[in-house]
Amino acid sequence: MLKINNLSATVDDGNKTILEALSLEIPAGEVHAIMGPNGAGKSTLSYVLTGRDGYDVTGGDVTLDGEDLLDMDPEERAAKGMFLSFQYPLEIPGVPTMTFLKTALNAQRRARGEEEMGAPEFLKKARALASELKMKPEMLKRPLNVGFSGGEKKRMEIFQMMMLEPRFIVMDETDSGLDVDALRIVADGVNKLRSPDRGMLIITHYQRLLDYIVPDRVHVLSGGKIAASGDADFAKTLEAEGYDAYAA
Amino acid sequence: MSLDLNTLPTRRDEAWKWTDVRAAAKEQGGLSDVGLPKFTLPEGLTIMEASSDLAIASTPMSRLTSHFSGPVWTVNVPDGFSSDEPLLIEGLNRGHIRIHLILGKGASLSVIEHHASDENRFVNIDMVIDMKEGASLERAIIHDDPESCLRVATTHITAWRGAKINQYVLSFGGDLSRLETRVAVMGKEVEAALNGAYLLGAKRHVDMTSYIDLAVPDCTIRQAVKGVVTDKARGVFQGKFHVRKPAQHTDAEMRHDALMLSDNCEIRSKPELEIYADDVACAHGNTIGQLDENALFYMRQRGIPAGQARALLTEAFVADVFDDLEDETLKDSLLRKIRDWLKETK
Ligand SMILES: Nc1ncnc2c1ncn2[C@@H]1O[C@H](COP(=O)(O)OP(=O)(O)OP(=O)(O)O)[C@@H](O)[C@H]1O
Ligand SMILES: [Mg+2]
Repeated sequence: MLKINNLSATVDDGNKTILEALSLEIPAGEVHAIMGPNGAGKSTLSYVLTGRDGYDVTGGDVTLDGEDLLDMDPEERAAKGMFLSFQYPLEIPGVPTMTFLKTALNAQRRARGEEEMGAPEFLKKARALASELKMKPEMLKRPLNVGFSGGEKKRMEIFQMMMLEPRFIVMDETDSGLDVDALRIVADGVNKLRSPDRGMLIITHYQRLLDYIVPDRVHVLSGGKIAASGDADFAKTLEAEGYDAYAA
Repeated sequence: MSLDLNTLPTRRDEAWKWTDVRAAAKEQGGLSDVGLPKFTLPEGLTIMEASSDLAIASTPMSRLTSHFSGPVWTVNVPDGFSSDEPLLIEGLNRGHIRIHLILGKGASLSVIEHHASDENRFVNIDMVIDMKEGASLERAIIHDDPESCLRVATTHITAWRGAKINQYVLSFGGDLSRLETRVAVMGKEVEAALNGAYLLGAKRHVDMTSYIDLAVPDCTIRQAVKGVVTDKARGVFQGKFHVRKPAQHTDAEMRHDALMLSDNCEIRSKPELEIYADDVACAHGNTIGQLDENALFYMRQRGIPAGQARALLTEAFVADVFDDLEDETLKDSLLRKIRDWLKETK
């Protein structure tokens, strides 16, 4: 499904190389986790995959179902099904959450040549999801993320993800800032989205999340590439022993 | 009698340093035309053509109207008047025009002005508004001139005890335009909100100037002006609160925030507080910036195309100055105009 092949990327106008010939393949239906030390380049990888300005690809390629992603604008990638749950979700002052999300959903549908979703159907879906994620309904009326607590913002990322039903999901430290109950609710939501034609890449520092969302593979990102990989139990070893063995 | 160009202000006049009327007038015809505004009155009000001179002629452009305009279009709003219908003023499309509104004690009036001219016109409007005790005014100005129009519209408001003013300006500019509001606060407990937004493209220019003169205690002034400029447009904001010694417990706040969306656009701003009273709460803020690139990426990651994302963020940025506008139909129409402008400029 998602194929990353020898990907190299720089930040800071090319002055700093973060990814160096990183390769990784996530087949449809699988959930992979990426762990690794602070500053290793995990968030950088998520931005390169979604096309953020300032993260320059200097080599390699990335395809989603065989289609080259790197030449696409961020919104085109989103319409193809790429979704990033941000490590630090942004506040969008003045734009109510529902307006934002309906605009996004229908922009994606238009780009794919699908029919737009009408207001009643959208509202119904949003209400049902909000209650499933135990979110206060008034949060949906407020400007997106403005004044939300850290945990509320993370929950809002999952809410958006479930509304948009993306084909490939990157979650960047979605667990940080969540209390235990929220973590379980979020994990339930994510598990519900697991399906044979959807792939997920979960970036985390903590084994705890992986108890709820059990990954098919666990990778260590260090020195700009995937330094080691293993099965779900590998996360436990990493948490116990640290990353020294994989230092660049 | 024709207008002597030397009577027009130039850049050398401090108050006009960013809006050179004389230079612009040189290329304009109809400098001594008499304008003919059109009034749609709510039931119960009448219009008179007064010939008497208005006492207030404190700016060079005001003085000109007293030489060149025809009658003073006068509306006397009786004490205690109120109506669901607004006073609509249109036909502000050419020449010199003088208008006088008198709001009696406790009267309440909503005024909607459409400032829109024909091509290649010079428009100079002087409006005097007297607000008696407890009078209340909601005033909306919608300004959209062709790129060849020179317009100056000056308003002098006198507010007596307990008067309430809510003014909303939405301007898309013109070749050169200045919308000036001067308020003399003469009675205690006056509340004034003077909000506005300007959105300018091409080589348009608008100058929003205001001068609030406070000479009595216990008044509240709120001013929030938002600007969006792109292409080679130029926005000017000049605001001054003059808080005289007796004006104790004045609570006044002035904000001007602008977005510059292109490399060649310009914003000039001069927020001023001149305070002689010692027990007041006065503040001002002025910011000029760009759209938040991080927010834009976030929106695009969710699938919203770049142009639409910019338009949404820009609309949200300007729209909040109209939040408190009571006439919901009017508010919707202002927001629609902003949206249309954003659609055309993206
Ligand atoms: N825009 C940028 N300009 C300069 N340096 C950057 C930029 N973005 C990231 N970096 C640097 O790149 C390196 C990788 O950062 P990144 O955020 O990808 O790390 P990470 O693995 O996600 O870390 P963490 O676990 O702390 O979230 C860091 O040294 C960071 O300072
Ligand atoms: Mg990170």
